[in-house]
Amino acid sequence: MAGEADFFLEEKRFKQYCEDFVKHSQQIGDGWEWRTSKDLGDGYLSKTHFQVRNRHIPPDLKEKNNDDTEQMLFAHVEEPLDDSQAAGVCSTEEVVRYEYHVLYSSSYQVPVLYFRACFLDGRPLTLDEIWGSVHASYQDRLQEGPWDTITQQEHPILGQPFFVLHPCQTNEFISAVLGGSQEHHRHTNYIILWLSTVGPVVGLNLPLSYAKLAAEQSTDADLAERALS
Amino acid sequence: MTDDKDVLRDVWFGRIPTCFTLYQDEITEREAEPYYLLLPRISYLTLVTDKVKKHFQKVMRQEEVSEIWFEYEGTPLKWHYPIGLLFDLHASNTALPWSITVHFKNFPEKDLLHCHSKDVIEAHFMACIKEADALKHKSQVINEMQKKDHKQLWMGLQNDKFEQFWAINRKLMEYPPEDNGFRYIPFRIYQATTERPFIQKLFRPIASGGQLHTLGDLLKDVCPSAITPEDGEQKIQVMIHGIEPMLETPIQWLSEHMSYPDNFLHISIIPRPTD
Repeated sequence: MAGEADFFLEEKRFKQYCEDFVKHSQQIGDGWEWRTSKDLGDGYLSKTHFQVRNRHIPPDLKEKNNDDTEQMLFAHVEEPLDDSQAAGVCSTEEVVRYEYHVLYSSSYQVPVLYFRACFLDGRPLTLDEIWGSVHASYQDRLQEGPWDTITQQEHPILGQPFFVLHPCQTNEFISAVLGGSQEHHRHTNYIILWLSTVGPVVGLNLPLSYAKLAAEQSTDADLAERALS
Repeated sequence: MTDDKDVLRDVWFGRIPTCFTLYQDEITEREAEPYYLLLPRISYLTLVTDKVKKHFQKVMRQEEVSEIWFEYEGTPLKWHYPIGLLFDLHASNTALPWSITVHFKNFPEKDLLHCHSKDVIEAHFMACIKEADALKHKSQVINEMQKKDHKQLWMGLQNDKFEQFWAINRKLMEYPPEDNGFRYIPFRIYQATTERPFIQKLFRPIASGGQLHTLGDLLKDVCPSAITPEDGEQKIQVMIHGIEPMLETPIQWLSEHMSYPDNFLHISIIPRPTD
């Protein structure tokens, strides 16, 4: 597709955008942190939170479902639960611990979203349970090619199994958002735009205040440039 | 003088004699005999061990059998790594046959990826090939191929058909005449001692002055701590497909001739045996 190659991200830029992202996260208490690996100095963004999932199938989805796989849906929680709150959840609901990591792929020159999920007793979610929990609007794409969308892979820094949202899909999503040339968007925080687009596919939402950060950086940089010219 | 193409055959047909033994705590109805098999270096454990699974399942009750997994001296073996890499990394300086323990219970969720069907192996294999081509050709060659060509790469590997595989793979090994090699070299360097599973970075096969970068150049650039000064004794071995290529070897040549079918050079750095 024309223009797909435009949306690459250099590693230095990636680190800078992540730094700004974490600063904003700290200001609003959104729980993201940057983790640096001791040996090579590369790193990744990390966030852990708990989500409540309701075990029920709404009537309209029941018709679509022709297999026995139980559809697990999210009840989006405004505030992420902490450990004490998680224990108080009643037994008809289930609490799932999600861990999200944002890494940089030098091969594709894009950020990549890794995540893993387990119940409170430590049992990890299976790939089927993960596929089942993908947001309803993305289910069609997932049915077409599950192996191209979310797969289980080895985390390149930790060496443990994680689920990964395939980088090929990143370009598809980002092309739609960053419609103009990369030149026009050179000051926009790529990480915020990217994560706000792909995160919801796997239950990760960014509070609206991040949009302010993206716009601020854009404005400041444009002002600086105009002052210099 | 050996033709370079002979190297491709030698790599493809490399085998490791292996002895599979059932884990002692698995519950059996009769005693389980060990099972011997020559494993292809270039393939994956879960792709070539159907006979192993059948052999042990014969002496077990159905309810005791869940997903198979393999372990060597306490270390769960990652099925998504090529067999030759696993052997070089964990057992290259031990006596043959390679002794692998077979498990059907207590799958180590924190260490191993699941492999419920051959589709998972195919998806992983093809993802590696695509990533390799992203590095070599900005994905141009792999994207120009038809689905049936992709299938032929997988079928060639699955059915151990060298000619069938290389009929397509040779296109992934070409480069424009004006260049002297690939854009970047697909490689991964493994050391059993690190938490990080492997090192992978962008590395060009040709220097700005036009000289060919060597294996030694790659190691110096990517993991300098592994290379000791030339006058001292090398405490480590740099191993690919069970051999130690000379550090002067051009990395472009290695990429074209000693990559695994997934188009990556999987390089092991292991301690040199002292005796």
